[in-house]
Amino acid sequence: MKLSRRTFLTHVSTIAAAAAMGAPIAHAKDEALSIALAARSPTSINPQQPGMTGGDNWAIHQVFDTLVKSDEGTFAIRPEDFRPSLAESWESSEDAKTWTYKLRRGVQFHKGYGEMTADDVVFTFARHLDPKIVTNQKPLYSNVEAVKAVDPHTVQFTLKRPDPLFNGSVVTTLAASILCRKAFEEKGKDFTMSPVGTGPYQVESVSPSEGIQLTAFPDHFAGPAVTKTIHVRFIADTTARTLAFASGQVDMIEGVRSPGWLPSMRQRSASTIFDATAPGSFNLLHLNLTRPPLNDIRVRQAIRHAINSDQIAAAFAGLAVPMVGVIAPQFAGAVKKADLPPELQYNYDPKKAKALLAEAGHPNGVTIPCFTSQREDYAAIMLMLQEQLRAVGINLDLKIIDHATMHSENRKDRNSVALYSSSYPPVPTQPFLQLLSAAADVKADGSGAENYSHYGVAIPGVDALIEKAQDEPDFNRRIALIQDIEKQVLRDLPLLGIDTLSYVIARNPRVNIGFPVKSGYAYWRLNKAKRV
Amino acid sequence: MLPVIGARLLDAVPTVLLVLTLVFIALRLLPGDPALVALGDYATAEQLALFREQMGLNAPLWQQYFTFIWDMLTLDFGQSLIDRTPVLRLLADNLPYTIELTLVATGMGLLVGIPLGVVAAVNRNKLPDAGVRVFSLVGYAIPDFYLGALLLIVFALTLGWFPINGGGTGFVDRMYHVFLPAVTLAMVKTAFLGRLTRTSLLEVLGKDYIRTARAKGARENRVIYRHGLRNALLPITTGLGLSLLATLSGSVAIELVFNRPGIGEVLISAIAKRDYPVIQAGVVVFAFFVVLINLLVDLAYIVVDPRIRVK
Repeated sequence: MKLSRRTFLTHVSTIAAAAAMGAPIAHAKDEALSIALAARSPTSINPQQPGMTGGDNWAIHQVFDTLVKSDEGTFAIRPEDFRPSLAESWESSEDAKTWTYKLRRGVQFHKGYGEMTADDVVFTFARHLDPKIVTNQKPLYSNVEAVKAVDPHTVQFTLKRPDPLFNGSVVTTLAASILCRKAFEEKGKDFTMSPVGTGPYQVESVSPSEGIQLTAFPDHFAGPAVTKTIHVRFIADTTARTLAFASGQVDMIEGVRSPGWLPSMRQRSASTIFDATAPGSFNLLHLNLTRPPLNDIRVRQAIRHAINSDQIAAAFAGLAVPMVGVIAPQFAGAVKKADLPPELQYNYDPKKAKALLAEAGHPNGVTIPCFTSQREDYAAIMLMLQEQLRAVGINLDLKIIDHATMHSENRKDRNSVALYSSSYPPVPTQPFLQLLSAAADVKADGSGAENYSHYGVAIPGVDALIEKAQDEPDFNRRIALIQDIEKQVLRDLPLLGIDTLSYVIARNPRVNIGFPVKSGYAYWRLNKAKRV
Repeated sequence: MLPVIGARLLDAVPTVLLVLTLVFIALRLLPGDPALVALGDYATAEQLALFREQMGLNAPLWQQYFTFIWDMLTLDFGQSLIDRTPVLRLLADNLPYTIELTLVATGMGLLVGIPLGVVAAVNRNKLPDAGVRVFSLVGYAIPDFYLGALLLIVFALTLGWFPINGGGTGFVDRMYHVFLPAVTLAMVKTAFLGRLTRTSLLEVLGKDYIRTARAKGARENRVIYRHGLRNALLPITTGLGLSLLATLSGSVAIELVFNRPGIGEVLISAIAKRDYPVIQAGVVVFAFFVVLINLLVDLAYIVVDPRIRVK
């Protein structure tokens, strides 16, 4: 049979038209909403599973509840900012070491698994406390001594050290989402893709092709979700994701944290809404204090004066905010430039940077070898830093390598100037413990942690102050101690705060999510979202 | 035919073993730590050590190697280091999409490429021949990831005729989703097969037995299709085998451009996360397909050319 061009095109058009007519009709029936995240496929919908992607987190946040929560679209920063969720009320002992939660009665698990009780809460946290079980974000739970059910609707946590912000440091983290013990034990490994929670949505299906389909849980304690169906799609490729959004096939997409992305999206469509969290990730620059010339405080001061954080923030077109210290400016404990003594303000001053460099014995400049990740945010920031430092005679001999390799090489103490990007809960002790304590000192054999500066080992650090802050049960006094730590770090400059970089979702204006996104984790609830 | 199959399968054993060994060594030489990827920023040294212990990453390399070879021989692909998903399930979920894409693209290439080659050969040095040659050059010259993006923008975004991404569910929906990616991959295949068919057919059409057939008064269609094309199929069969393998490996880029599920997409993700069991299983699957396609090509020779059967 001879296949003419006309016959071929006629057949193809017929098939395409038939299929194309089918898809939007099905879409319109239940007014489903869709969001596409920058990941390749669903990994797990078990909040305690390590190795999950941002896409998985979005699904988990719809399927599970935590004991308490922040207001939608915000971060609870102070103890009084937290709101009831699975727990109706809570109280802390005066020493902030015993926390007792009264559970809401009648909260139902999905798919007929019955009422949530204290037993489920104890089961959830006991897994984090068991040293033999690898769970997600486990170190966050290291301060918990024990958890017990006082009665079926009361749970009590005992801490090793005081924590006035226990709700922020532990209870509202995603990995603290309450699991259904019965379902977890019954389903075993299948729980990862067929989870049972109490959240406003339940998992309908999971597939590598279509992502995760969620349907509204009619018995949610806060009332059923407005939109019946949510599709969590996984589109790793930036172009494919942007095209899916531009064509209207998805309602929301995860943005790209690189200069130029936001302006190009605005150029494409001025009506697109951008929901961005602040602070998003902290972008911090480790200076290795064991390596010349970085072991000289004058060189570190020169670097600080040569960096123009405002310029870097401007390049991200509203997605970045300049940092002063190590804590994001939006969080409690952060220092403001105006409140600092002049010598700790480190205003952008290339002339001063050059003078400091000359004073340190490098009038002709220095070359410092370093590497960073090829990930768009890392590479963009480091390339801008390289240019700014070059202007004062500091030549970063920069290699851009694969992301996993960068992390493993950093952990072996092979970097001199290491950019580190991470999101933190609004718990002011966390970044110092993780990045600047002597206990977290990086080691060449890979057995250390993430203090890539060797602060507290190469030179005296802030360990005593961190200890003091950790033993302080009063939130305000703790914050004052944190600000002392910030000032000491600014004096020694082992770690420089560059910019915070927001997590951003582009949203079609036809979708109203029900609240403005100001801050918070890189996921939010969609139970109030609807087509308008 | 059975002895041929047996001999070919025996030939494949050292090839597969060599591939497995090379993959194992290459992965262990690669910098990057799957424990760090899995546990993320908050990982402590104790957690990392526990993870490595539980995942068997602390065992001596020789022990890991023999465990790996044994597991592969017994088809025990293990579980992902990162999310603990059984690798067999990952393959079962994704492989059908890659096979589907490869087969549809190959079918398109065959259906369009061979007739184009015949038209070019029959009209040697005339306008249709020049047209086919230009088309072949263009087909070779356009990188598939670029062509894919172009087709996406024109037919999916601007005209809205096709979906922008995904793999689809149900036969019709899946064919609808695979169409544009398959056209992208089929472009170079069509160019290659068209060119090969033209060259091969021209050579055959110059043979004595073709002249004899024409002298006996056979109709031109019979001369071309019965005597010419049939004898020109041997090199086309070899080319088709090579083309199938190229499509299989080319599907990796196309799966990314069209955000289709598939084994290429799984492999890329696993390499970024240093997920050894998934990478190893993915490479084994590719090696299996290389062996299988070569075997099929050998068997096709026997069908196409009776002289080989006699030998």
